[in-house]
Amino acid sequence: MTETSAPALRRGYAINQWKPNFDDFTRREQHERALKVIAACGFTAVELRAGTGRWNPLGRPASIVANYGSTEAFVDLARGIGIEAVSSWYFDPGEPIDEELTHGRSVLEQTDHAAIIESVKPFADFLAASGGSRLVVRALPSAWSTGPLSEDTIAVAGAAWNRIGACAAEFGVTVSLHVDCLSAAADDETLDRLLAATDPGLVGLTIDTAELTLAGLDPVAVLDRHADRVDHVHLKDTRYRDEAGERFGPHAEAAMLQAGGSREIDRWFYECGTKGGLVDFPAFVGRLRDHGYTGWLIFESEQSPNPAGSVMLNGWYAERVLGC
Amino acid sequence: MSALRWSYMDHWRVNTPRGPVTQYASRRHMDDFVKQIRSVGFEGLDMFDFQVFALSQMFGSVEKYQEYLREHGIDKIVNLFRGIMYDPRVADAHVRETHDEIVGSTRRMLGMWEGLEIESLIVMPASLYIDTAPVTDDKIKAAAECWNRVGEMTLTEFGVRSTCHHEFFCAIRTEDDIRKFYEWTDPRYVSFFCDTAQHCIAGIDPVALFEDLHDRCSGFHFKDTRQVDTTGAYDNRPDAELMAPQTAQWFHEMGTEGGLVDFPRLMRALKRHEFSGWITVEHDKVNIGGDYAESTALAMWYAQNVLSEIYS
Repeated sequence: MTETSAPALRRGYAINQWKPNFDDFTRREQHERALKVIAACGFTAVELRAGTGRWNPLGRPASIVANYGSTEAFVDLARGIGIEAVSSWYFDPGEPIDEELTHGRSVLEQTDHAAIIESVKPFADFLAASGGSRLVVRALPSAWSTGPLSEDTIAVAGAAWNRIGACAAEFGVTVSLHVDCLSAAADDETLDRLLAATDPGLVGLTIDTAELTLAGLDPVAVLDRHADRVDHVHLKDTRYRDEAGERFGPHAEAAMLQAGGSREIDRWFYECGTKGGLVDFPAFVGRLRDHGYTGWLIFESEQSPNPAGSVMLNGWYAERVLGC
Repeated sequence: MSALRWSYMDHWRVNTPRGPVTQYASRRHMDDFVKQIRSVGFEGLDMFDFQVFALSQMFGSVEKYQEYLREHGIDKIVNLFRGIMYDPRVADAHVRETHDEIVGSTRRMLGMWEGLEIESLIVMPASLYIDTAPVTDDKIKAAAECWNRVGEMTLTEFGVRSTCHHEFFCAIRTEDDIRKFYEWTDPRYVSFFCDTAQHCIAGIDPVALFEDLHDRCSGFHFKDTRQVDTTGAYDNRPDAELMAPQTAQWFHEMGTEGGLVDFPRLMRALKRHEFSGWITVEHDKVNIGGDYAESTALAMWYAQNVLSEIYS
């Protein structure tokens, strides 16, 4: 255990861990309890996750308005609890959106770009009203579904993110590319090419420590290579690397992430500092400080069997080990 | 400088692939437990006497466990709750012939764990109501004599205060009997430990009781309840706390919806009487309808955001 007296970085928590299934976490009192747990552990922001349908009351700005009366009512509730901002919203254009009658869109399809831009506007608008600043987006679809990407295809994706970034910027919000372990961007070369194809003034990079590690990337190396682009961080741990390349197998979302792959792993993601965890958080956060990072640190623990317990463990680690 | 510090009374359970276990099951669970209570602001820990054996096995000694706690941000074990299994043949506070054994066993226990840096030893000062009834003045006086002796011994020999905690099913449970008990005990040796939910269930206003006994009060269990015992559960076998027909769950974390304890009023009373020291948070049995981790975080959210605004 180490302790540091470095200045505190602002820390928030991703709420996605409370909703492992489509019909979980629907009631307002559940939201309030989750926000109180987050606040009690010293986190001052929350990251929401885009979702669809009436059983996803925090999935879309319109759903929040429908359930809470207005954006302001939800923000006031959160602030009354001690959550000062909705720092960010995770959005995957490939997921179905019933409200928009789409089964999902792709930045690799030029014909989808205009619809994606329209789709993100309410999210950016909400973030601007709730003290947030990052629209965290899935950078590329799953590698198993795309296969190797040509320069032209990367250019199409880059053009999409530039346009989406320009749209979000009108609301004072930055689009930040999130690379999960299944993503076609979870590969150093592809990630570098995608970033090169996007405008640094419009598109940032989110580093998710566990997702990159699981995919075999080194989050510290990625940070050092793209420090000028990193504007958002997801901190979570993993005990595993996908050494067998199962992320490239068909339907890896189900076969690997949900079913656990050939090793039948119940849980890929853990709280920071878990025993056997592969991420070197003190090194990673130390490098963030070295690079002068000023964004949010969003702790995340999806697949947790006990969301409150996970927030408490991460709260302890943030305070006692990372000094934030 | 804050007048109040927060301690956690341990009833913790965690779900595992082999079912629910306590943190004493493994070092990994202990690590998680200590980190989790620290993360929400606890600086002290209260525990049961019978768990000390497990600590000694896990850490080698209670001294090493206390060192481990400090390394993780928990300053000390504040109170030790002695769970006496009263039996009139061996040890029962209203049976004078057994007082030597109660004093002797308490001395043996504290002597065995001399390294424990606790402030108070908490006890239920009499047996179950149903095992004692009818509760007479003489039985209360006998219990008072017992705890006067124990309290003098713990204070003079170990520097530990003895303090009494009145479960709703304890023989000394009514407002009148509790007042008599403190009238007949020596303030130097016997303190009052106020469990907000237990008194509420017994039909007593815990704030009014604290107002009356504030100069005797050494600490609190801050926990809530949604029910007063309206069915005489305290007077029924086999067990009022876990097996009463009225409810499977008497206790909830403070701040719970429908909670009967008026914590803001209690905090104003603490402020008025300038109470200083440890407040212990407890919510035993919340695993029946919920989860210890969540209840603990919610309780401390309430402490930090509602109660600390009144007095801290």
